[in-house]
Amino acid sequence: MADNNNLLVQVEDLKIHFFTNEGIVRAVDGVTFDIHSGETLCMVGESGCGKSVTARALLQIVHRPGKIVDGSIVLYRQKSHDQIEKVRISDLEPKGREIRSIRGKDISMIFQEPMTSLSPMYTVGNQIMETIMLHTKADKNQARARTLELLEFVGIPRPNRIIDEYPFRLSGGMRQRAMIAMALSCNPRLLIADEPTTALDVTTQAQIIDLIQGLQKDYDMGVLFITHDLGVVAEIADRVAVMYLGNVVEYSDVYTIFNDPQHPYTQSLLRSIPKVTATREKLEVIRGMVPSPFRRPSGCPFHPRCPKAMPVCSEIEPKTISLTENHQVHCLLFDEDAKKPVREMAS
Amino acid sequence: MTINEIDLALADRASGGPSTESDVRIEVATQWQLMWWKFRRHKLAMFGGALVLFFYLLAAFAEFFAPVNFTTYNEQYVYAPPQMIHFFREGKLAPYVYGYKFERDPVSYKKTWAIDKSVIIPLRFFNHGDPYKFWGLFRGDLHLIGPVNASDPFYLLGADKSGRDVFSRIIYSARVSLTVGLVGVAISFTIGILVGGISGLVGGVVDNLIQRLIEILISIPTLPVWLALAAMVPLSWSALRVYFMITVILSLVGWMGLARVVRSKFLALREEDFIMAAQLDGVPRGRMITKHMIPSFLSHIIASITLSIPGMILGETALSFLGLGLRPPVVSWGVMLQDTQKVAVIAIYPWLLFPAVAVIIVVLALNFLGDGLRDAADPYQ
Amino acid sequence: MWKYLFRRFLSMLFTVWVISMLSFALIQLPPGDYVTTLVNQLVATSAGSSTISSEYIEQLREMYGFNQPMYVQYFKWIGKILTRGEFGYSFVYKRDAAVMITERLPMSFALSFASMILVWAVALPIGIYSAVRQYSLGDYIFSFMGFIGLAVPNFLLALILLFITYKYFDKAMIGLFSQEFASAPWSMAKFVDMLKHLWIPATIIGLGGTAGLIRTMRANLLDELNKPYVETARAKGLSERRLLWKYPVRHAMNPFISTIGWALPGFVAGDVIVSIVLNLPTSGPVLFNALKAQDMYVAAGFILMLSILTVIGTFISDILLAMLDPRIRLQ
Ligand SMILES: Nc1ncnc2c1ncn2[C@@H]1O[C@H](COP(=O)(O)OP(=O)(O)OP(=O)(O)O)[C@@H](O)[C@H]1O
Ligand SMILES: [Mg+2]
Repeated sequence: MADNNNLLVQVEDLKIHFFTNEGIVRAVDGVTFDIHSGETLCMVGESGCGKSVTARALLQIVHRPGKIVDGSIVLYRQKSHDQIEKVRISDLEPKGREIRSIRGKDISMIFQEPMTSLSPMYTVGNQIMETIMLHTKADKNQARARTLELLEFVGIPRPNRIIDEYPFRLSGGMRQRAMIAMALSCNPRLLIADEPTTALDVTTQAQIIDLIQGLQKDYDMGVLFITHDLGVVAEIADRVAVMYLGNVVEYSDVYTIFNDPQHPYTQSLLRSIPKVTATREKLEVIRGMVPSPFRRPSGCPFHPRCPKAMPVCSEIEPKTISLTENHQVHCLLFDEDAKKPVREMAS
Repeated sequence: MTINEIDLALADRASGGPSTESDVRIEVATQWQLMWWKFRRHKLAMFGGALVLFFYLLAAFAEFFAPVNFTTYNEQYVYAPPQMIHFFREGKLAPYVYGYKFERDPVSYKKTWAIDKSVIIPLRFFNHGDPYKFWGLFRGDLHLIGPVNASDPFYLLGADKSGRDVFSRIIYSARVSLTVGLVGVAISFTIGILVGGISGLVGGVVDNLIQRLIEILISIPTLPVWLALAAMVPLSWSALRVYFMITVILSLVGWMGLARVVRSKFLALREEDFIMAAQLDGVPRGRMITKHMIPSFLSHIIASITLSIPGMILGETALSFLGLGLRPPVVSWGVMLQDTQKVAVIAIYPWLLFPAVAVIIVVLALNFLGDGLRDAADPYQ
Repeated sequence: MWKYLFRRFLSMLFTVWVISMLSFALIQLPPGDYVTTLVNQLVATSAGSSTISSEYIEQLREMYGFNQPMYVQYFKWIGKILTRGEFGYSFVYKRDAAVMITERLPMSFALSFASMILVWAVALPIGIYSAVRQYSLGDYIFSFMGFIGLAVPNFLLALILLFITYKYFDKAMIGLFSQEFASAPWSMAKFVDMLKHLWIPATIIGLGGTAGLIRTMRANLLDELNKPYVETARAKGLSERRLLWKYPVRHAMNPFISTIGWALPGFVAGDVIVSIVLNLPTSGPVLFNALKAQDMYVAAGFILMLSILTVIGTFISDILLAMLDPRIRLQ
């Protein structure tokens, strides 16, 4: 599907820990994935599994007690026509000049809350133009012209009026469109969308998703799309990373994930999607709750809730196993080495 | 296919599933617990809390902690300076202070006090001294410490213009100064929660009217009004009546802030997600209020109260200092500070400012405590 | 915005009206009325040489309108103030109350204003620093100083200052004017002289307020620093410094500006008590003496004017807020 020339971002064994007063929270604990241009990677998983933290790490904007403790994030940046520059984002100083020149330019981000993601104190135009003038040499007039273009492009009616409007006077959908316009303003190579539609109504959700999908085609961007909604995943994803408690538990193309899921967590996740059939069945729910981040289960963190848990699961942390070249599972069921010695001891 | 249900299912599980009766109880219990843990981490607040407790204990058992009664005087020792207490003599626990002698200043020829190291005044713990009626109920004469020989001078923090013990008077004053804060807050709290509660629960026109009224009252500078009202208290009134009047006057000014807190809490809580969730889950309204609203609310109120006591204490002190508040023979820190109105007096007898030190410590401690309580009460931080 | 300001203006007028009634109520508080006090005064000064006839007393009552119902009296009182600027007569100072007010009130205003400027100039940068460097050594030091500022009553500060100057400096440092200007008519030189003296009492009055404002600013800014729009700005690639000033500080300024409203009464109160202790020629000492002597027309006049001063301050803060915050401006 995606060849390596298109490689945009490569994340390897990323670990992000929060050093809180109560103890260390391993919010992201060894995550590996990559994103290619022109491709949508969907990240799914229950609340608190570390999706947003991972996304923020790509821009080095992880919140305060959080720190990237291990692993690497590499951005492949087109320097000139046929020259590609490797930037190790994970090594950059979070407040430094270099990462700032990447933010909003090479990688931009749309957040979950359109209501509060724009400041109510400045006009929409002001906030979009700011990004343009920051990263390009455009003067005020050029930036304004570009902003009008962008607003029109993201489907905002009467951009001439909206550009001087304050965000709090716009509807949620309009604000999210303005956010997208802002994110697109410098032609980013990677767009990170962290649950961009959760706060919107269903129709607007569909519109925004269509918009992002269309833009991706036009710009040949890479998109990292974070969502809870498996329906959306089925609609837009090229590849899917399923996360559970700081790990990518299953990582493959969208067809494999939906048709041939291997990890028990992915399987239960898919089973909990309601199907409209003649006889309505009770929705299957994954038993138990997401454990508290401070009381992370030993071994495989999913084992207390796993229908296929083996004794060994509470003892050994699983490794990532490649089933095929593009299907990785983070589960001991597929780790023959790990299973063997325990069986021998048991017999 | 739109699959919002899975969203709900996922969200549900994150919040611990549909709450049942027992879940609700657990949530409430842990909320208090969480607050306590958070508060305990706040070292300064713990320290403040301990200090506040200490001062209220002093106030409660003033008769015991004060070496002498606050009215006891000795005209022989007018303006005697503070004595240093020594605990050990010849390696044994035997507390004592040195006595006083007169000296003539070689320059001005004025008589001044000096410590006479040749005179040793032995002290005793659990000394039988001035007889008192504890809380006006029980007779007693036990004091934590006092001179073995009752006629010996013992002025830890010096003596005032009538030869009364400043230390003992500060302890007795705590009783008045600290309760003014408590009683005042109780009154303004009652008014505040009534007015704010009505405002927040009824809403609409009533809310609007009350808010305007509060706005007006808040924009009136407090001190002139305090002064005006306090100046109206007739001189002929008994000490107790004056005490209550002053407390009422102080609390008349303090309730507006509390009313606003209560109202905004009610409004916010009506909107809060978890109340909505409880409503969706069919928890009856009455239980909703007691199990969900009150705990989240009480903690804020307690913090606000703690933070408004210092204002009352400072107000009483200022009024009494100006001579418009409590009057002798009632003794409060403000009343004691009346003696320091003249600079010349402070210059020669600086120990008369000790009551101010007590005020500062108590107000600081209450602020620390209140700050910690407020932080702990805020579940989102 | 005009609609909003108009509404605020109406509410200000209403507030002033309520305050005027409260002030009037103050006049009525002491037992007896003005005439009784006046008569007592006359009897005391003429030392019993002549007794005052009851007709004369009635006449006085008639003259002052004390026989009329309360609301008529109120309208007479407020009417005189509004139309002729007459606040009544001070029998303690034997002067027109209006003259005393015009003499003293500007001083109170100057002092309160100076305190406010000082408080802002100190609290704003420290508040920002403390929030941005939360839990740093500087934050702890400022927080501690802030607590001390809250806990030390300002009359005590005034006393300590008095004590220090009494012991170590010449006494002229404390008043509002140097000796040569004290009774001189107003001139540029006198004004400059006042500014030179103003900062000492202004510091004393402002200290408590500074502590409060630092904490307000710190808490607000800490709140704002975690808001999503800050994250958006950061994700844009703005530098921390530019981002801080453009977004969260601007937001956190809002409550700061509205403090003009609620802090002014505090400054006025501070002005009153500190001036009493330091014996400054502001409203404080006159109001205090008037209250002690139950010189009610003077007291009511001062309280009315001081309150109006704070109400106007609140109105100004409303205007500033509307200018700064589009959410208010456009509603
Ligand atoms: N400021 C913080 N302090 C401590 N822990 C944090 C902080 N922010 C995040 N975490 C931890 O990181 C974990 C992952 O958080 P994250 O926001 O990435 O979840 P998420 O997968 O995006 O969830 P959601 O679907 O609710 O957005 C959380 O479980 C939490 O324990
Ligand atoms: Mg998230």
